[in-house]
Amino acid sequence: MPYQERRRSITPRVVVVGLASCFGCQLQITNQEQYLTDVLGQIEVVYWQMTSSEPMPDSFDVAVIEGAVTNRESEETVRELREKASKIITIGACAVTAGIPGIAAKDYEDRPHEVYNTIPEACGELIAPRSVGSVIDVDYEVRCCPIDFYEFVQVLSAALYGSNHKLRTTTMCTECKQKENICFYAKGEICLGLVTVGGCQARCPSLGRPCNGCRGISPSANLESARQSVIKYGLSVDEFNEKLEMFNQTNTQFTGEEAAVEEAR
Amino acid sequence: MAKTAISIDHIARVEGHGNVHVVINDGVVENVEMNIVEPARLFESMVKGRSFKDCSYISSRICGICSPSHCLTDIKAVEAAFGVEVSERTKKLRELLVYGSYLQNHASHLFVFVVPDFVGYPSVFPLAESNPELFAQALELKRLGNDLCTKVGGRSIHPITAVVGGFTHEIKREEYLELAERMEAMIPFACETVDLFSSFRITEFQSANDMLAMVEENYYPVQSSPTLRLIEEDATFDTADYLNYLEEYEVAHSGALFTRSVKTKKPVFTSALSRINASWGNLSRQAKVMSAKAGLRPTEKNPMKNNLAQAIELVDALIRCSAICRDLAYMEGDSKPVDFEVKAGRGVGMTEAPRGVVFHDLEFDDAGRVVHASIITPTAQNLGALEADMRQLAGILAEENLDEEYIRMEIAKLVRAYDPCISCSVH
Repeated sequence: MPYQERRRSITPRVVVVGLASCFGCQLQITNQEQYLTDVLGQIEVVYWQMTSSEPMPDSFDVAVIEGAVTNRESEETVRELREKASKIITIGACAVTAGIPGIAAKDYEDRPHEVYNTIPEACGELIAPRSVGSVIDVDYEVRCCPIDFYEFVQVLSAALYGSNHKLRTTTMCTECKQKENICFYAKGEICLGLVTVGGCQARCPSLGRPCNGCRGISPSANLESARQSVIKYGLSVDEFNEKLEMFNQTNTQFTGEEAAVEEAR
Repeated sequence: MAKTAISIDHIARVEGHGNVHVVINDGVVENVEMNIVEPARLFESMVKGRSFKDCSYISSRICGICSPSHCLTDIKAVEAAFGVEVSERTKKLRELLVYGSYLQNHASHLFVFVVPDFVGYPSVFPLAESNPELFAQALELKRLGNDLCTKVGGRSIHPITAVVGGFTHEIKREEYLELAERMEAMIPFACETVDLFSSFRITEFQSANDMLAMVEENYYPVQSSPTLRLIEEDATFDTADYLNYLEEYEVAHSGALFTRSVKTKKPVFTSALSRINASWGNLSRQAKVMSAKAGLRPTEKNPMKNNLAQAIELVDALIRCSAICRDLAYMEGDSKPVDFEVKAGRGVGMTEAPRGVVFHDLEFDDAGRVVHASIITPTAQNLGALEADMRQLAGILAEENLDEEYIRMEIAKLVRAYDPCISCSVH
């Protein structure tokens, strides 16, 4: 088989799909202009609605999904993608933790009526926002709001060629200490770095903003101990919990514990 | 000619999900619908009850590409409600942030989304192979926009450093000077872009819609002025009074609310073209010369020329930003967030996003929590205008007995000329 043809037959076929989101994570991919063509040269993008008018094919290897599931139609779409693709990568907080759209999951029923008098047919059958991972099995994920391009490339390589890397469990605090940033608690401000999974190199605290938890709660985070620290610094636990809702509203680590707290009361 | 139904499902190379349906019967346009199927995320409901501190962080997520504008517009609404005055330096940085998104948006829209229409490719990727020089320069321009947002806002989308009252971080003098040099080096390519877009043949027609833009005396404003102008209606008004001039309404086929003029009930088009029509006299000299050379003078009513208007804005933005960067490198003062008092009240923020005017209307209780929020994005305003223009365009083409495929292509081109941001419009 000639080289070009052989290369084509083994090039992984990738689709990129956007659900309820700001499209920012897809943009983050296109925003690394100098490396974009190198990355795209290793794969064959067979469907990317944002950049091309070609329709979605029937078969492909990898599906990259951005966005949260907010209606039955999207739920159907991700199930279909799961059936067709051998690897699923979710990118960004919306797809991984339900992210910002997930804020609306709390008391969802009344919310559409706060925006619309009559809910337009075009909205489809609305359901409470949820992560892609709560609907189908996901093989790889890229966290953050928005994602970091280099982390995306790392995860994409892992999906294409395999990797023995496991999901990071250390919290953002570790990276922030390494950067020698002054702790926000010392300044009387709540920061979610002490429970949020690391990997962002403390980007926001290094620029003067406390962590809002966009990577999601770390599997090994000790929420109760974190709340004790909040009290120790004379800050509000309610405010801490409210901040956590921003990216963890549908996270059972957060909601499950909330329920237990309710019960204990 | 029999009945023709043109449907474009999932119109490509725009931000978000939308479908177009046009029905032409015997040369007469019977129905036109811009069907917005983007999943609703209900931002207005999400920010309700939350602290003003989280507002701009959340509403920035309405849209990645317009995130600097949403973030800033929200901050301006909070500042209007609390009566916060920011420093001159902060104002300049904000202008840079908005322009960073202009460079980024206009370069992507023109080269990635629009150029394929005029060279007959389904996407930008074949262009990368057939004209690598053009592709490389276009990417470099887009990259400059991203770098500007990153330097000022902390990353290319969803700014980190912009907060109520100022900025939490600033770059060094040398970095401002380096940015200024890169801007200046890019001006010739921006001029070539204007020439390229003025060489594309477009269907000539005059839209009947009104146009809306921010205006300021002796300046081409993008975030500095509280004043707006409806060009056709000849109405100049303050942002705080916007509800007396613009109204939203629901349609069944769209998840986004549509907008029109309260007085004339005409759809409103807000865009680069609207800005140039409203402030042509205040364009920088070189941008004005390029505009005149390309035949774009006020009042230009062909919405297809919005692409050309964006190209002209690229020239203007580069000139303006290089000057602001040089100012920031040497001017006194700082951009640290100023102190302010939280109080109950309502504030309306307004900014010229890359695609046009965006409003964030926020009401707070005395603890600084959101009681009510209303957000009107440029694309939500433009959808009504787009439908009206599609109807007119389809009518002209049907009368000329052009075939279905040609009409389909022209309609897709019109949609893309509007540079709709559908994810924004539904929010």
